[in-house]
Amino acid sequence: MAVDMSKRRTDYGPPHYEQFLPPIIKDNYGKWKYHEVLKPGVMVHVAEGGDKLFTVRAGSPRLISVDKIRLYCDLADKYCDGYLRFTSRNNVEFLLTDSSKIDALIDDLQKLGHPVGGIGNSISNIVHTQGWVHCHSSATDASGIVKSVMDELCGYFTSMTLPGKLRIALACCLNMCGAVHCSDIAILGIHRRPPKISHDRLRKECEIPSVVASCPTAAIRPTTVDGNPSVEVLEENCMFCANCYTVCPSMPLNDPLNDGVSIWVGGKVSNARHEPMFSKLAVPFIPNNPPRWPEVVDTVKNLVELWAANARKYERMGEWIERIGWPKFFKMAGIEFEKQHIDDFKHAGLTFKRSVHLTY
Amino acid sequence: MSVEEIAEAMYKMVAESQGQKKLKPMDLTKAMLVVFEGKTDKKTCKAAIKELVNSGRCVYTYFGGSFIEIPHREGAAND
Amino acid sequence: MAEATYKTPKLDELEKGPWPSFVTEIKMAAKKSPMANDLLGQLEKSYTEKIGFWKHGGIVGVMGYGGGVIGRYSQLPKEFPGVSHFHTMRINQPAGWFYTSAALRKLCDIWEPRGSGLTNMHGSTGDIVFLGTTTDQLEPVFEELAKVDFDIGGSGSDVRTPSCCCGMARCEWACYDTMGACYDFTQTFQDELHRPAFPYKFKFKFSGCPNDCVASIARSDMSIIGTWRDEIQVDHDEVKKYADGGLDIVDDVIVNCPGKCMKWDGNKLDIDNSSCRHCMHCINAMPKALAPGKDRGACILLGAKAPIVEGALLSSVLIPFIKMEPPYQEIKDIVERIWDIWGEEGKARERIGEFIQRVGLGNFLEAIELEPVAEMVAHPRENPYVFYEDYYEEGDEDEEEEEENE
Repeated sequence: MAVDMSKRRTDYGPPHYEQFLPPIIKDNYGKWKYHEVLKPGVMVHVAEGGDKLFTVRAGSPRLISVDKIRLYCDLADKYCDGYLRFTSRNNVEFLLTDSSKIDALIDDLQKLGHPVGGIGNSISNIVHTQGWVHCHSSATDASGIVKSVMDELCGYFTSMTLPGKLRIALACCLNMCGAVHCSDIAILGIHRRPPKISHDRLRKECEIPSVVASCPTAAIRPTTVDGNPSVEVLEENCMFCANCYTVCPSMPLNDPLNDGVSIWVGGKVSNARHEPMFSKLAVPFIPNNPPRWPEVVDTVKNLVELWAANARKYERMGEWIERIGWPKFFKMAGIEFEKQHIDDFKHAGLTFKRSVHLTY
Repeated sequence: MSVEEIAEAMYKMVAESQGQKKLKPMDLTKAMLVVFEGKTDKKTCKAAIKELVNSGRCVYTYFGGSFIEIPHREGAAND
Repeated sequence: MAEATYKTPKLDELEKGPWPSFVTEIKMAAKKSPMANDLLGQLEKSYTEKIGFWKHGGIVGVMGYGGGVIGRYSQLPKEFPGVSHFHTMRINQPAGWFYTSAALRKLCDIWEPRGSGLTNMHGSTGDIVFLGTTTDQLEPVFEELAKVDFDIGGSGSDVRTPSCCCGMARCEWACYDTMGACYDFTQTFQDELHRPAFPYKFKFKFSGCPNDCVASIARSDMSIIGTWRDEIQVDHDEVKKYADGGLDIVDDVIVNCPGKCMKWDGNKLDIDNSSCRHCMHCINAMPKALAPGKDRGACILLGAKAPIVEGALLSSVLIPFIKMEPPYQEIKDIVERIWDIWGEEGKARERIGEFIQRVGLGNFLEAIELEPVAEMVAHPRENPYVFYEDYYEEGDEDEEEEEENE
């Protein structure tokens, strides 16, 4: 396509945020004094000078049509002089100065099918990746599992009955374009079959040294197939990361017989109380069972309710498990501890129990 | 050396390497700094890459990392 | 326009239940867009066969830029011609994800006739995601976006679109202006954002306080997390009100304090700020009574990433405290030095965190000209395999003495 680069406008970056801020925010930028959660999904921020800004937060599927965005815009026009924002967990927030409009806005959002909540001691929206909707390397769908899990947990989004915050995330493969590795509960798509090499295509599409170098466990070696250079995979060394597939599309790992989902628990990113933590493996594998993945939904719901019933106030999933110990967690959750739970990658020894601090 | 001269040398390198080894922008820059030692610098190399891409002679590609290649039809493309 | 030509019994199941449905959204778009309609068809097939049908496209983009467009082609273009091409465009979001309805409507009007009409609000890194269009629409979309002042975001081995929490716009805990800093860094590094020149991606995330609402410590190569270094501000009357209102100051607040730096005698909260770990718990629990101190800035950490390639990492401390004032030159200078050494020595697909693991944090600090400080480690080394670059040879001692005597 012919593009006249001399006239082209480039590198101007995003529009300046100031033009999108409601007057009350411009007036009180950096001057907020405190906030209070008024009810599920509704909070007020009070400025030093007394101004009050009300936020109404609603859940969203993240994958939304332009017509839905326009419906959000209509609500923003009706209630908030056209101002709205989105959160880091894909919720939509409406910013009001008139508290008398809150209930009517909530009614309208509910009529639109968007539950209001996700603030305080609740489950917020599940951050997730593209899955079968758009991704070439996904081991599972993302949106479908998220929808099924949130249907089951919606009551914890629209209430504030949990001991603390609970953050669930889903990534449809180990690339984790939604980084799930520090979530209270992470749902992670995994492959379990080594790449199927299409030697004909590999010859044309891929550079053998790059493919060999891509493997973190050195499981890929150059070889000759039918007189042509190609690669072979030492299957016992493959841990299905798909790094080779990312640099060489002739080595797909996607496989309906072996792909599925793993469940991880106890991660957090906030510094509050305990330092940030990685999520740890709870359930090594659950087969894909679309359209509603009932086994995944049951497992997640069980974990949420176990934590809710046993954690102390403010205690995140990982803090609770650290207090009671992992053996008790597995017992209480009814999850069998298996070989896969034991780390065997780098520095695995650091994860072994190196004391007799055990409960019986 | 001028940006154009460096761009030309880079283009040659990309053309010779095409189909054998994908080159990252830094590979090109490093090579130029060796070949034209003392006569060019990182800034000129950066401008040369921009020139190559803006003129359409080269494109950025992504296969698990970003590369500079000569435009071509990729294996995955549909009509 | 397009008729709903596909029976989608599996996807229809996902329109049931209280949570808003992405299937309903795709169907809304499919009323107008043959692309969205064929997406429904292909997705139903994925739900039946339990596998995705996409191919990665590595070449498509807009002229001059090396990032911001993710190439995608269907493996089944004959069966689902509408998604034969289904490229994604990442559009750099405004800092803090604030919008006016007018701006959003303009984006919708650009996207609807030129793509599937489907979006992600927002993608994992923070961009507005335009989901699915054909190669020939990429330039026209970019052209239209320029008219409404939206630019394309990052992808590939470049600076990825920086993101931030809402900071001072709507949070009393913001220890610096996250939106201001995010916008400033984004503008400064436009070339690095649009023209991939690194061994792999580099992400910035700006969080206003240690609660880290944008998960910067887990998800960004450089995490800039607001904090303070003087005393927590205490309104003792409000603390008393929390206590009278039913908050158990000991069990709910003090027991949870990682620094064990608080005492409560039933009337007055006493904080030993020299032992405060700046975790935010007490402030979170009593937002009306406590607030971060007044000497505010940020802690800068480096190296977080997801597992690919060498394992997941959290960011670790690089600068324990720095004042955050525009134009942030000291930080940008360090960033440039980091990119210099990583650009020269980094391997393909090696993130900065992995690079530091490989070369050693001590060596890395020398290269970027920062002094090691104890805040950078959880504890000093436990193993005695210490590298020394130099050692004395017989006779050296005399020379040194001579030098000292000179």
